[in-house]
Amino acid sequence: MRKSFLFSLAAVVAVMFSYTVPAHAKRGDITDFDKRDWMVVEPKVSDAPLRDYALCYDAGGVDGAIGVIGVPSMRTYRHIKCGVDMHNFPWSGSNAGNNNGTPDGKYLYVSDKGANTVVEVNLQTGWAERIFALPVPFGIHHSAALSPNGKYLWATGELSGRMLKLRLEDGATTVLEIPPAPSAPDYPDAGKAGRYVFSGNYYHSAVMVFSQDPFKLIKEIPVGKNPHGTNVSPTNRIVTVCDKLSATLSIIDTDKLKVARVIPVGAGPLHNQIDSLGKYDYISCFVSDSTSKVDLMRMQLVDEFPIHYRVGHNSIAPDDAYYMSQNKFSTGLFTPTGIVFAVNFELQDIDESSDTYGKSVKIFPVDGEPHEARQIFASLIQRWNTGKGDDLFNKGYDLGDWHVDFDHGPGLKGGVHPQLEPVHAANTKKWWVPRDDSKPGIVKKGDVYEVHIKAFSYGYVPRFIHVPQGAKVRFVFTNIDKAAGLTKNPDVTMGLAVYGYYGPRTMIIGPRGMSMIAEFVADKAGEYEFYCQHFCGPIHLEMRGTFFVDPPGGTASQSVGDYQSVSEQEQLLDATEGEWIVGTNKLRNTLHEGSEPTI
Amino acid sequence: MKKVSLIAAIFFGFAMFLTQPAEAGRYGNGSDARDTLQIGVIKTIGNRQFTLETRFEKTAKTYSITMHPKSYVLTNYRGTFKHFTDLKKGDLVAAYGYMKDGKWQARQVKILDPNHYLVKRLAADAKAGVYYKSER
Repeated sequence: MRKSFLFSLAAVVAVMFSYTVPAHAKRGDITDFDKRDWMVVEPKVSDAPLRDYALCYDAGGVDGAIGVIGVPSMRTYRHIKCGVDMHNFPWSGSNAGNNNGTPDGKYLYVSDKGANTVVEVNLQTGWAERIFALPVPFGIHHSAALSPNGKYLWATGELSGRMLKLRLEDGATTVLEIPPAPSAPDYPDAGKAGRYVFSGNYYHSAVMVFSQDPFKLIKEIPVGKNPHGTNVSPTNRIVTVCDKLSATLSIIDTDKLKVARVIPVGAGPLHNQIDSLGKYDYISCFVSDSTSKVDLMRMQLVDEFPIHYRVGHNSIAPDDAYYMSQNKFSTGLFTPTGIVFAVNFELQDIDESSDTYGKSVKIFPVDGEPHEARQIFASLIQRWNTGKGDDLFNKGYDLGDWHVDFDHGPGLKGGVHPQLEPVHAANTKKWWVPRDDSKPGIVKKGDVYEVHIKAFSYGYVPRFIHVPQGAKVRFVFTNIDKAAGLTKNPDVTMGLAVYGYYGPRTMIIGPRGMSMIAEFVADKAGEYEFYCQHFCGPIHLEMRGTFFVDPPGGTASQSVGDYQSVSEQEQLLDATEGEWIVGTNKLRNTLHEGSEPTI
Repeated sequence: MKKVSLIAAIFFGFAMFLTQPAEAGRYGNGSDARDTLQIGVIKTIGNRQFTLETRFEKTAKTYSITMHPKSYVLTNYRGTFKHFTDLKKGDLVAAYGYMKDGKWQARQVKILDPNHYLVKRLAADAKAGVYYKSER
């Protein structure tokens, strides 16, 4: 009896032990866990799908690339090299619809503020394919607006007070001067009925109205202080304008061409995105760290979501389920990886029927600095498996009933699709040094013009810089900003980029506590604006100066300079690729206004 | 004298009414053929044309919509492309396009899901008297 009891007890203990202490497989053993198919994700709420239903293309600002990010997984798929300082873009197709338009999946046209170009990116190959070399002087900021028929693009020359209309077939342009100075055409959108183009002008605190064909200024509509994001609703009835310094959203009636309503929103409204049915408008509010939601039927603010931190641009999923805040600062959220702090994207659930409505569902660091992003259904990008390239290039593809082919402008017919990698930074020597505390100004040391320049919120000293043509120039750039309280960031980065020819030569990065030196030769005469390319606060855009390279015996101006030469943009590509650069000053003002309908 | 003033006032008022720009007063009147987005239900369909009866407005209106040569049909769920022949009577759709050459031409027709939150919101708002396109 005693023996059998002990035997039973030993058996029970052995069984219990075998359940409570897992056997550790030896190294190299195959266990059941190893047999799991890692390509199959368990159906948990927190798991992202392996196949994203939408793609977000993001103009990455200072990294000179377009980022391609999956929605809703928020995984980065690739970066497409485009140039110097990328800002924003429309899709090819038509601008019918909301800010995402009705894309055909062929191209996007991204503005390069650093190089003064628009870069055509082939969405199917995933490479830059053509460069539109814009006239000089111009100083592009945004290329946000496409015509309803998809054949023309409007862009703002923020740095010279000009606007242009560009024919996508060949790069021909019409350039308009927008007086009185100072004038800064900023963020445009085109009416969807072929009639008007609207663009904010922050120095005028007004929205300018242009006719699409002939392209001419009709009027300016006074709005709040320093307007920025300007969007036409999908119904084409209203234009929503972010009054950056007034903390309001101005609603312009597109029939009467005057402000119909002013709606208070969060502080520092920068950009707005209207959903695809025109019901809600989502406004990024930089200072209040929030997204304001305005009901465009009720014409009132109906909700507000917190963001982390300092939102600039924003985008909305094609099915209106998600909204993405493209935040300028992360303020300690992520591990440092260098002297420039991380910036981030934040995905917010805007589906009112969802359990997580209004919540941030994902937040992650991104490369570069987030500028305009737009989202399309992933179904627009074709599944080109090995061996099917012939179909893409020669036969095109179908979007339901619409057969899309790739034939367009001169030089690109016959299935030719370049793989371009435009220069991001070149022809300069740059390095960081301990903080330079010498007086601001220009000092000649030997044959070098040493420019000691200080940057702060929101400006530069000196504001105007003159050097003779051919001079060796050394910028000694120091960030003396003390506005960390406003920006909630102890290390706000300042920058300096001279637009156009000197763009790849500058792109100076200035964190606090150190100085950056950039050396280059000022071999092309002209008057070129410089600007802060690292977002530093609500009046970041207004942080500007002018770099004059004076020709022998004269002074550079908007009409005196090597503008024909620099407009050729030969520096951006290898010499053998010059045929992929179109436009330039040669095609300036060559559109046949009044006979090139945009609808 | 009073009678002359009254007649003059009426005449002046009538003249003001006639000289109003055609667009004036559009806001608050519901949908309009010049809108570039129409939401509604397909009533008749065929030969790359369909008639659409608007929804979520105080007064439903009917528009004849022609498919632009460069147009497509897709679902709002995951952007699945469809053919025009997949559209059928009773479908709730959003048509994006514009008036050109006297025809309302669609560049995109999106088949809406009646259970989508925006559709439910527009329906609930209309029931409560907040009509689409701010119709009063």
